[in-house]
Amino acid sequence: MQPPDKLLFTPVQRIRIWYFLLLFVCSVFVVRLFYLQVIRHDYYKSAALTSQLKQYEIPAERGIIEVQNGKERVPIVLNEMRYTLVADPKMIKDPAKAARLIRETIGGDAGEYETKMKLDTRYSILAKKLSRQQKEDVSRLEIPGVITAEAPQRTYPQGTLAAQLLGFVDDEGQGRYGLEQALNDKLKGQNGQLKAITDARGVPLAANDENILKEPEHGEGIVLTIDLGMQQQLEDILKQGVEHAKSNSGGAIIMDARTGGIKAVANYPTYNPAEFFRVESKDISVFENKIVSSPLEVGSVMKPLTMAAALDQGVVNRNSSFHDQGYFKIDGATITNVEESGGSGQRSLNDILQLSLNTGATWLLMQMGGGEINEQARTAWHDYMVNHYRLGKPTGVEQGYEGAGTIPDPSEGYGLNIRFANSAFGQGMTATPLQMAAAISSVVNGGTYYRPHLVERTIAADGRETVKKPEVVSPNVVSSKASKDLKEIMEYAFSKNYRAYGGMPKLRNEFSIGGKTGTAEIANPEGGYYTDRYNGLFMGFVGGNEVEYVIVVRVDEPKIAGYAGTKAAGPIFVSIVNTLIDNFGVTPKK
Amino acid sequence: MNTKRRSVLIDQPMQRRHRPDYILVLLSLVLLSIGLIVVYAISPGLSAQKGVEANYYASKQIIAVALGLVAFFITAQLPLKSLRTIQKPLIVLAVVASVLVQLFGQEVNGASRWLQIGGISFQAVELIKFALLIWMASFLTQRHKEGELGSQAKTIKPMLIAVGICSFVVAVVQSDLGSAGVIVAMMGSMAFVAGLPMKKVLMFAAIIALGTFLAIASSPYRRERLAIFMNPEQDCQNVGYQACQALSAVGSGGLFGKGIGGSVQAYGYLPESANDSIFAIFAEMSGFLGTSVLIGLFIALFSRLKAIIEKAPDTRTRLLVTGILAWLSTQALINIGAMIGLLPLKGITLPFVSYGGTSIIFVTAAIGLVFNASRYTTYGVNSMALTEGKRYDDPADRRGNRRTHYATVSRRP
Repeated sequence: MQPPDKLLFTPVQRIRIWYFLLLFVCSVFVVRLFYLQVIRHDYYKSAALTSQLKQYEIPAERGIIEVQNGKERVPIVLNEMRYTLVADPKMIKDPAKAARLIRETIGGDAGEYETKMKLDTRYSILAKKLSRQQKEDVSRLEIPGVITAEAPQRTYPQGTLAAQLLGFVDDEGQGRYGLEQALNDKLKGQNGQLKAITDARGVPLAANDENILKEPEHGEGIVLTIDLGMQQQLEDILKQGVEHAKSNSGGAIIMDARTGGIKAVANYPTYNPAEFFRVESKDISVFENKIVSSPLEVGSVMKPLTMAAALDQGVVNRNSSFHDQGYFKIDGATITNVEESGGSGQRSLNDILQLSLNTGATWLLMQMGGGEINEQARTAWHDYMVNHYRLGKPTGVEQGYEGAGTIPDPSEGYGLNIRFANSAFGQGMTATPLQMAAAISSVVNGGTYYRPHLVERTIAADGRETVKKPEVVSPNVVSSKASKDLKEIMEYAFSKNYRAYGGMPKLRNEFSIGGKTGTAEIANPEGGYYTDRYNGLFMGFVGGNEVEYVIVVRVDEPKIAGYAGTKAAGPIFVSIVNTLIDNFGVTPKK
Repeated sequence: MNTKRRSVLIDQPMQRRHRPDYILVLLSLVLLSIGLIVVYAISPGLSAQKGVEANYYASKQIIAVALGLVAFFITAQLPLKSLRTIQKPLIVLAVVASVLVQLFGQEVNGASRWLQIGGISFQAVELIKFALLIWMASFLTQRHKEGELGSQAKTIKPMLIAVGICSFVVAVVQSDLGSAGVIVAMMGSMAFVAGLPMKKVLMFAAIIALGTFLAIASSPYRRERLAIFMNPEQDCQNVGYQACQALSAVGSGGLFGKGIGGSVQAYGYLPESANDSIFAIFAEMSGFLGTSVLIGLFIALFSRLKAIIEKAPDTRTRLLVTGILAWLSTQALINIGAMIGLLPLKGITLPFVSYGGTSIIFVTAAIGLVFNASRYTTYGVNSMALTEGKRYDDPADRRGNRRTHYATVSRRP
């Protein structure tokens, strides 16, 4: 036994000392808890919310796009749910193993996955556009730090049909080119918002006072004026025609002359909007709807417009004629005709279009100036180009990147007279095929300029449909008399020339078919014009008692022998007319 | 028979059983229930993060508590003397478990602490603590009886060696500094209460301080943790993440808490929400009111243990309960201290409350031993009188109420 006096404290004293220390520490803890939980509560509450409260966009569903198919409507752009595979590199413990598992499940490059899983970020996209099946397979791996995110994607039940017209939607959900770009805001709708307390992975927890929900407003659906069948036929015809003409590219448009509604727009070559990302950067011009976006010197297809302007002003009439010496000298430059025009002689209005006389177009312009090209002539013609035919400014069609074209100013600059003389037959000015279609449409339909448009109606998210009425921009582009005269002259020109285009063995007299070729010179950026390159154009119409469709065709730099307008664009026009008559019920004359 | 009984009585004069301390059991059950409620409340959140069935955690915890009750009933009925006989097998088991953990253990945060046996994961350190507790109680009792408590060679050296080996295994090999701290505190407290001379106590304290410093300085993982502890909010995104999230959980609880189902931090923000961090989740749910009550419950429980120590019938019992008190209290304080930013983070559980079968089973087993001991406490006679050379039944220690003091045991532990 230990003598008690050797012990500084007895065991009971010792346990009491010990216990007192324990109580002391506990009371320190309680004080600390009071500090954290009561005094600093607000600070920690907001600190916790900073990580817990997350804001989400609830994506609005993008509107679908439909086209006409006879009396029905069929979808041409739909949405499909796809998935993006995302990694949070901070949460991945073994990137090599995770990468291998992912490659075994959805394919791809394990090395690339691994690199992406080692990035110094918390959001690294591993793969895009996974199918639902792939997404489920990856989710089943249960790799911590690898999640899938919904990414709706456009699908195209009609494949490449009308690709440039439609445009596409990029990875950020923005419409690019065509309709998707022009109507992006309408189609896109308004994303909703969810502010919610979530778990660490971002899954919102059950109802909470802090949660805020704003429902998304889904995008509007759009029904186009485009006719599925016409579009398909037009694309086929254009492709054959462009290839036949040994050209690299071309385009064509069919517009309803009675409404301004565009029935079909084709561009060649084309691309697959579902795989827009496969288009190489040197080829991105394939995205453009060049009918709308790319102005060009239109050449002789301008002549009907010049003539209509002269007729409308009353400076010439249906029976006017002039003595053509074969050339005009203006401002020291000489305007000549093509060799086949038959030299000098007395020429009627019919002759001017049939023979495509540059001197004739110049003569028409002179009549606007009282016999010579002067300021009065220039101003009058400029007024017609800009204010009647609405050239030089965008039409307002629902397309991205619409081109405006350029029209020379009547009083500014030098060589104005020769420039305006040139513009009378479509050189020294530019316009898009769409502008030309809208202008000729207004000339041959009796004088009403309808705004060219693609949207027939919109469908709100709740299913409510709003029909878009054709918009009359100007009711009297030209008088009905001028309209009737010009229509006849164009019919005459076609009836004289159609054999040269091929494709129509016998003139289809029961229909009203008019047209004008254009073989447009191409400006050389280094000055002057190329001597060996031309664009082939054709501008015409088909109908019965009234004009139903106007058609504009362009074939870029065809290599086929003969005039580009006649040999490259003409056959395409004839094929289109045949198709419209045979398959799409153009009403015959009564 | 009679003579044998008498000799027993002389050796351990307080062998008469009386009513045990039911309040102790009640407090333990309340603490276990709090743990169950918290685990049940956050079980769906935890399960969602792990992708297991919603009540996975809650049902495992119920099983753990049930096993804990079984352990309690066993140790509560076990004759305290028989502890001496299971002491050796326990040590062997602890050594085997440590070796197995080292060989097949699951590694978590660079520390291998878990042993998978079938579907059950077993934490070896709990067994080590328990074995050490039993051994220390006998060892110190023995030395005390021999009057060699202050002996450098017979007491201090073996004790330091035991502490050294155990803390080396736990702190360095298993990388579990928290448990090593608990072990050191437990052994130190037992030696202190046993009557180790104060000089030795101070020396002991100095050695512990040095050991702690070395343990921290030797491991970059610990140095990092210490640095974060000094300034957790500097690096909330990476290493200080758990500390920051724990403080956020505690602080956002406020005065009244967010309610039982109101914890958000358990949904994947706060790591180890059910085990090491359960106090923070409880604080988030129950607020300052709840945390004060919880600490109050712990203090109440500890006060029962302290009372039993004061009135322990013999040195062995006294030291055993002292060891248990030191174990449970330091473990609780280290755990809570980390959650409220007063101590660096340690991967140890909050006794009774934390999710985890091993912890609960050993804690309830220990409480069973205390409950067992509470049947034999003395009243009136200061059992410590023995150490002061007095006889246990010296009439001078009676209150003079002419009653035998054994007759009034019913109201006290």
